[in-house]
Amino acid sequence: MKHLVFLIAVPLFAQKLAVLPPSVELTGPEARQQLLAQSTSGDFQEDWTRTAQWSSSDPKIAAVDEHGIVHPGERDGEVRITAKANGIAATITVKVQNARAPFTWSFRNHVTPVLTKMGCNSGACHGALAGKNGFKLTLRGYDPEVDYDTLTRQAQGRRVSLADPTQSLVLLKPSFAIPHGGGKRLPKDSLEYRVIAEWIAAGAPPLSNKDAEIRGLEVFPAAAALKPGAEQQIVVRASYSDGHTEDVTRWVKFSSSNEGVATVDDWGRVKMNGSGEAAITLYYSSRVLYSRISTPFPHQITSDRYEKYPRKNFIDDLALAKWKGLHLAPSPVADDSTFLRRAFIDAAGILPNSEDVENFLADRSPDKRTKLIDRLLERDEYVDYWSYKWSDLFLVSTRRLNSTAMWTFYNWIRHSVAQNKPWDQFARDIFLSSGSTRQNGALNYFVLHKDTIELTENATQAFLGQRITCARCHNHPLEKWTQTQYYQMANLFARVGVKNGNEPGDNVIFAKASGDILHPRLARPLAPAPLDAASIPLDSLEDRRVKFAEWLTSPTNHMFARTVVNRVWASLMSRGLVDPADDLRATNPASNEELLAALEKDFVEHGYDIRRLIRTIMNSTLYQLSSAPNETNAADDVYYSKHIIKRLSAEVMLDAMAQVTGSPTAFGGYPAGTRALQLPDTQVKSDFLASFGRPPRILCDAAERSSDPTISQALHVINGDTLNKKLSAPDGTIALFSKLGLSDRRILDHIFLSAYSRYPTDAERDTMLAALEKTRLVKGTDEARRDARRQAIEDMVWALLTNKEFLFNH
Amino acid sequence: MFRLDADRAVEFCDGLRRRDFLHAGALTALGLSLTDWFGLRAQGATDGAKDVNCIFLMLVGGPSQLDTFDMKPNAPVEIRGPYKPIKTNVPGIEISENFPRTAKHADKFSLIRGMYHTAAAVHDTGHQMMQTGRLFQGGIEHPHMGCVLSKLKGPQGDVPPHVMLPRTIGNTGGNMPHGQNAGYLGKSFDPFVLNADPSDPNFRVPDLLPPDYLTALRVDRRRNWREMVDRSVSEFETSQDARLLDTTFQKAYTLMSSAKARAAFELHREPENIREKYGLNRFGQSCLLARRLIEAGVRFVTINMFETVFDEITWDIHGSRPFSPISCYRDLVGPMFDMAYSSLLGELAERGLLSNTMVVATGEFGRTPKINPAGGRDHWPQCWTMLMGGGPIKGGQVIGESDEIAAAPRSRPTTPGEIAATVYKGLGIDMSVELPGAQGRPIPLVDRGIEPIGELF
Repeated sequence: MKHLVFLIAVPLFAQKLAVLPPSVELTGPEARQQLLAQSTSGDFQEDWTRTAQWSSSDPKIAAVDEHGIVHPGERDGEVRITAKANGIAATITVKVQNARAPFTWSFRNHVTPVLTKMGCNSGACHGALAGKNGFKLTLRGYDPEVDYDTLTRQAQGRRVSLADPTQSLVLLKPSFAIPHGGGKRLPKDSLEYRVIAEWIAAGAPPLSNKDAEIRGLEVFPAAAALKPGAEQQIVVRASYSDGHTEDVTRWVKFSSSNEGVATVDDWGRVKMNGSGEAAITLYYSSRVLYSRISTPFPHQITSDRYEKYPRKNFIDDLALAKWKGLHLAPSPVADDSTFLRRAFIDAAGILPNSEDVENFLADRSPDKRTKLIDRLLERDEYVDYWSYKWSDLFLVSTRRLNSTAMWTFYNWIRHSVAQNKPWDQFARDIFLSSGSTRQNGALNYFVLHKDTIELTENATQAFLGQRITCARCHNHPLEKWTQTQYYQMANLFARVGVKNGNEPGDNVIFAKASGDILHPRLARPLAPAPLDAASIPLDSLEDRRVKFAEWLTSPTNHMFARTVVNRVWASLMSRGLVDPADDLRATNPASNEELLAALEKDFVEHGYDIRRLIRTIMNSTLYQLSSAPNETNAADDVYYSKHIIKRLSAEVMLDAMAQVTGSPTAFGGYPAGTRALQLPDTQVKSDFLASFGRPPRILCDAAERSSDPTISQALHVINGDTLNKKLSAPDGTIALFSKLGLSDRRILDHIFLSAYSRYPTDAERDTMLAALEKTRLVKGTDEARRDARRQAIEDMVWALLTNKEFLFNH
Repeated sequence: MFRLDADRAVEFCDGLRRRDFLHAGALTALGLSLTDWFGLRAQGATDGAKDVNCIFLMLVGGPSQLDTFDMKPNAPVEIRGPYKPIKTNVPGIEISENFPRTAKHADKFSLIRGMYHTAAAVHDTGHQMMQTGRLFQGGIEHPHMGCVLSKLKGPQGDVPPHVMLPRTIGNTGGNMPHGQNAGYLGKSFDPFVLNADPSDPNFRVPDLLPPDYLTALRVDRRRNWREMVDRSVSEFETSQDARLLDTTFQKAYTLMSSAKARAAFELHREPENIREKYGLNRFGQSCLLARRLIEAGVRFVTINMFETVFDEITWDIHGSRPFSPISCYRDLVGPMFDMAYSSLLGELAERGLLSNTMVVATGEFGRTPKINPAGGRDHWPQCWTMLMGGGPIKGGQVIGESDEIAAAPRSRPTTPGEIAATVYKGLGIDMSVELPGAQGRPIPLVDRGIEPIGELF
């Protein structure tokens, strides 16, 4: 039957063929371009480059070889290049110019990339801090001027021999004409050998400010859905300031974001190994880009599965598009009990009590979920919960702040959450203010990060999701950030002054009139500039932080909105669209880019309104899906086709145990009844919170919070004081049961409703009622029977509160 | 009533001897079915005859090769540093004067003087590579060698197969994973982390025993009810995290109901003079505890000498705050290592355990040959020395050699991957074993082409 479907299905898809890149200009005699013969059939693309027959309408202008590589011929002009395969043909136009013009290889744009691709300047070889065998290049060629000098002027000019280029050490060693510790890197018949040899023969021309500068990269195909096991060649083209383009595929550094899905070799050939999506990332001359390659899961899904899905807003539309492409069918919508518990935890960090559950289950109104979400977002616990989250982000603690300063910082956050301060205003409160930290709690941010370097790195991590630390010492080896950008950015913060205020815990933040941070190698300050933005003159008198704040919160700064949107999404959906949630580097795309972009746009258009963002996500069907898998999505843990379950955070878990047992946790120095989520400070001692992964708030890093289960945690809930003392508390809920004389049945309902937001099943009820009944048969005094009954209830509640159904938000 | 801390297996109300019962279930508790287990044995992945164990000392901070085990007395003073070499009990091998006790055991270990790695010169990369044999890339986090052993051999008795003392490595500045868990093998093969200081006078494994007011009967009833309530709802079936939670509970019960396992952690059973010999500090007592754990059946013990490099005196001698001064090798860190390491080797040998217990000691990198303006040395992954002995590893040798200023290996350069291969070989694991990566993709134990150090066997 399956085969039949296949036979019928194939002819329905018209096969199409395209040549990529769709248009090509070859400039200069050495230009070349790898072309791709890319076919599309139904949902899939196939790379036919190797099997296609390639031909040129005029080889005198441009010739194409059997691999699909096109070269200029003898004269300028335009030709048509055709690929033919499986009875289909596709043609593009290739324009050739300067085919006979004099040409020399450029040190910046050819020699350095060759040295990089061959690994000469890698950290393992001559790019090491101390070089190798007396020969030191800058790491991955981040400073070509220094490298030029090293190659041409040092070692008595033996590295580059203008008199006899083939006797240059830079050719003799890597081609292994003479022994080389790094082995044979450069075959004599390779293009790379020729580049270096001809550059030397041309007199080893130095860098010049007339060199074309790289402006950007393009990748072909930018995205492709491939069949299981398929291979695909990736082509990368660079464009330059003088308008010309070059095929740089040979010299690109490739890597795969998920080798379980796809692997890529040094030459850009991708092989699919599994189902799902991977980003093939490309790095070339401090530019990065990626190609999205996917293979659908092996399921046949009928379209009615998608049509029946109740779409509520744009989130649902974009999630559907993703599932269709990957052949995943969504799980059904979760039942009311599950939804209710999930919504309480995600919006406010608490569980619904038994009354909340009974009312919600009895409510027949069709919009009860929307109304519940609205009510939750107005609760004080919402403010507690989200203040706690932002306090994690801003590292509020008494570790480096004194108690007064910690409180003023926390109170500013809390007040901001309570009034739903727009996120851009949050940032401006910090970066546009000066004065006393007592009067303006936001300014404690600068007390926490007094060091310019630390401040720079924290600001980019907290607000932009960028880890730029590597660029402090050298261009980031696999990311776009350069050392120059780093010190331009850092110089924006070089004039933040912090001095003591009038009393302990008070500091005054002010803009200093002078002061710069020096680029360590150039030993001079660089004009301050935000990342990828225009600089301001070094002698400008304006407050540099103002410049930063304006750039940071500008609606055109995608990184800013994208970062916080992804954090909020991760909090509600258990996993960021970009994962890890705070790692938004350019080569770490979202599992659904279109969805993240739409969320970001919506967020910016509606005034950076966090509460509105939460409401939008929670009202989507996507948020409300069951976490139970269907026959298609058991393996999906990144596309949200079922809700991703997550262990409760340490603080939510402890508060939930306190809530169900009616026995609050005591925290030293805080009033009785303070919940864990109301603590402003993570230095408050708690073995339970420490064991279950409370973050220490030392580093701005989402990984500081851990939800990994450990044996120590299990031992703590089995034997430790925290839960056991709550169960036996003389004034807790269990004690209250006996005082109120509730029936066994009512007690069971109550504990199931308050712990699981559902009634017990018949089997659960029967077993537990029988166990409680047995305590009435205990021999001895009434007191002995009362004790036995109480212990039985304690043990039941223990069993409920240590269960997955309790410990997970599902 | 029965107490769980009784010095024998505990009899539970259902009449089963819980310890035996748990023992039978322990393999499954580790996610390894009996079929897997016999399957692995059949493949020759494990060698049941005489299993070799390993104690891995992670010398967090990165000891300076020039001030410890690769002295260059003839180099200029700004290179050779403040310390002098001394002779050892092996003619021709000299080490720093900071390790007089270790010098008496040089026949029991070999020095590998050509260690280097090529990743970024931050602590975290070295921790990754030394503990897993690889640098993490392509979204793959490789497993710690002890976790691989747990996966392949499972537990031995009631104790966990891999224990980490006293705590995990925390922040060392690089913001990267330290390679101290099971990575792609899944968290069920993570080590049991002690999370307590064995040198604390009141040291005990936190919460290993129920409080006085909880009888064994109730502990058992709770456990049964917990399992009964546990609707095997499908929400949790496909979640690795949820399955793992159950596994950790099972492991916790195994640990608490075994008298032998509990006794292994009871350092107070050791005579005072033995405890003093190892040094009454966190590292010393961790080494002593490691010996007890190996005796009780633990297969792999990882000891992190320090948890961080900030605001603590460690091997990380940049010379300026918040790091450590070079003098700490003489005053604190050196003697701490010397006492613990020499006692460990000595005791293992006396008790006949050295022949099947490898002891590996390494930092994450070496340090700059030239002393910096602050009087310290900075990170230097290009060259360092590490120590290996015990089990099938031949002692009393020097493998490899560095150049005249210990800046780079001169002969037999050795990578972290080769060390991992050597440890695996020493543990009796077949090099051709492939481990299950994400989506079932097989991942070789060590990268293809990497060989164990033959001279050590």
